[in-house]
Amino acid sequence: MRIFRSNIFLFALGIVLAVQVYLSFEIPVAGSFSDAAMLSMNGVQDVTPVKATLLSQDSLGAKFQDLYGDSGRVVETPGSYGSYKHDRIGDVLVLSVKYERSTNAFDLEEIIRVNPTITFPMIQGLGELGRNMLFHVPMSMVAFLAFLMGTIYSILFLVKKDFDYDRRARAASAGGFLFTALATVTGSIWARFSWGTFWSWDPRETSIFILLLIYAAYFMLRSMLEESEDKKARMAAVYNIIAFVTVPFLMFILPRITQSLHPGGGGTEAPILNLSGQTHTDRTLLNMYWFSVFLFFLVFLWMKDLYTRVLRLQERQAEAL
Amino acid sequence: MSSWQAVLRKDMRVEFRTRYGVSAVVMFLLVTVAVILYSTPGEQLQPSILSAFLWIALFFGAMTGLSRSFVSEEERGTALMLRLYANGESVFIGKLVYNLLLMILLAISAVLFFEFFFTRDFHIRDWPAFAVQLILGAIGIAAVSTILSALISRASQKGALLPILALPVLMPLVIATTDATRIALEVSTAFQNTQGDLLILFSFDVAMVLVSYVLFDVIWRD
Repeated sequence: MRIFRSNIFLFALGIVLAVQVYLSFEIPVAGSFSDAAMLSMNGVQDVTPVKATLLSQDSLGAKFQDLYGDSGRVVETPGSYGSYKHDRIGDVLVLSVKYERSTNAFDLEEIIRVNPTITFPMIQGLGELGRNMLFHVPMSMVAFLAFLMGTIYSILFLVKKDFDYDRRARAASAGGFLFTALATVTGSIWARFSWGTFWSWDPRETSIFILLLIYAAYFMLRSMLEESEDKKARMAAVYNIIAFVTVPFLMFILPRITQSLHPGGGGTEAPILNLSGQTHTDRTLLNMYWFSVFLFFLVFLWMKDLYTRVLRLQERQAEAL
Repeated sequence: MSSWQAVLRKDMRVEFRTRYGVSAVVMFLLVTVAVILYSTPGEQLQPSILSAFLWIALFFGAMTGLSRSFVSEEERGTALMLRLYANGESVFIGKLVYNLLLMILLAISAVLFFEFFFTRDFHIRDWPAFAVQLILGAIGIAAVSTILSALISRASQKGALLPILALPVLMPLVIATTDATRIALEVSTAFQNTQGDLLILFSFDVAMVLVSYVLFDVIWRD
């Protein structure tokens, strides 16, 4: 497509992507007071960022209204509050607090941000690691869309017998393979810090591994056939379509019915796509997630277009020789 | 007699004469069982391990036996003749039914071998559920290996290529059947516990048979 060749598009995409990546790390993570209490009682972490509205302030401390947790719950922060002078009643603050079990109250450690435009909601058990939700999950989503596109191009090639569709199918599937590999790497790093090991053969880890094998076989197939170019392309298209039949099973069905470390396994509610069509995931997080999917999809489209052109040139060169 | 039946009869007659497919498959099963018995002397084999062994044996047995269907036509030089006499549709259905019969034979003999050699540990507690998942698994393996063996019949590294192409594609099916087999070995009310697996197997089979039926003509015509 012509748009991917314009410098303005590339420039804009680069800037938006850089901003998105920066924001993904910069936006403060903030939970509720009950998150902070639970994390402290479970011994996970002592100091937790919390998002709250300032209700009142006096010499004893300040009162905050919890924004995420139970509505209207008022929490006192004795002592150390008061170092921050410019706040007004009603300001939304991101604070890091320490839970005191004996008094069932919170100690203020630090004011992280005043009136933040957006905060990243604390995902129970993930905390700061939840930011990977904007990289790992969109990448696997884009991989699915890429494989879908590759299959559509393969079908179009078989119907219209236009070799350009074959090149596009190859490029799209290669893009899908790349994004699957990226999702595997980001997921593996996430697993290291969340579950303790880089790889534990969780159902989703197994299925993404199989997916990589399937598409590796797809790229091998072409070089191992001794046929005319036309027949090779037809065979590759057939295998691409057969391979895609397994993708919904591997990505959406199998990991959902088995017990899994990933959310959504074993009949629990999946956080983003599930059968009930609704989700309890935070609205802000979902918007950021879908924006991330959109951006990575644009990156994929640009790469696909680039690779299609490379394949076209390679074929023209082979014809000239 | 419709032409797919003629293709099926031709394949069965060739098989009766050479007995290549059946004997390869039975030999493969015997060797697999011998290796398992040798490496686990006197050990208590859990249902999860036995179901994994059973499906490894079935999958690779299928790769040795079922890969022949189109490769042998190319090797004997009869593929062109078949193209002249029958249309793609009936060749595909004939070969699919033949592969399915071979696969069911393979599955039955594998189960008999397991019953015989692992008498102590291999107890099927729910026969109907076990049979249903075995047949559904056989249909899926037969469909995938029929279309893929047609695909590779003229490749350079035929023997190596089929398992490489077929194993990952069949993996969702093998995962579901392994799980269903394990449950049928463990509890006597397996039907309630394997509904998810059976649904996956059924939809996988339907999708694979339909897709390969539609796509076969693309491979078959020159």
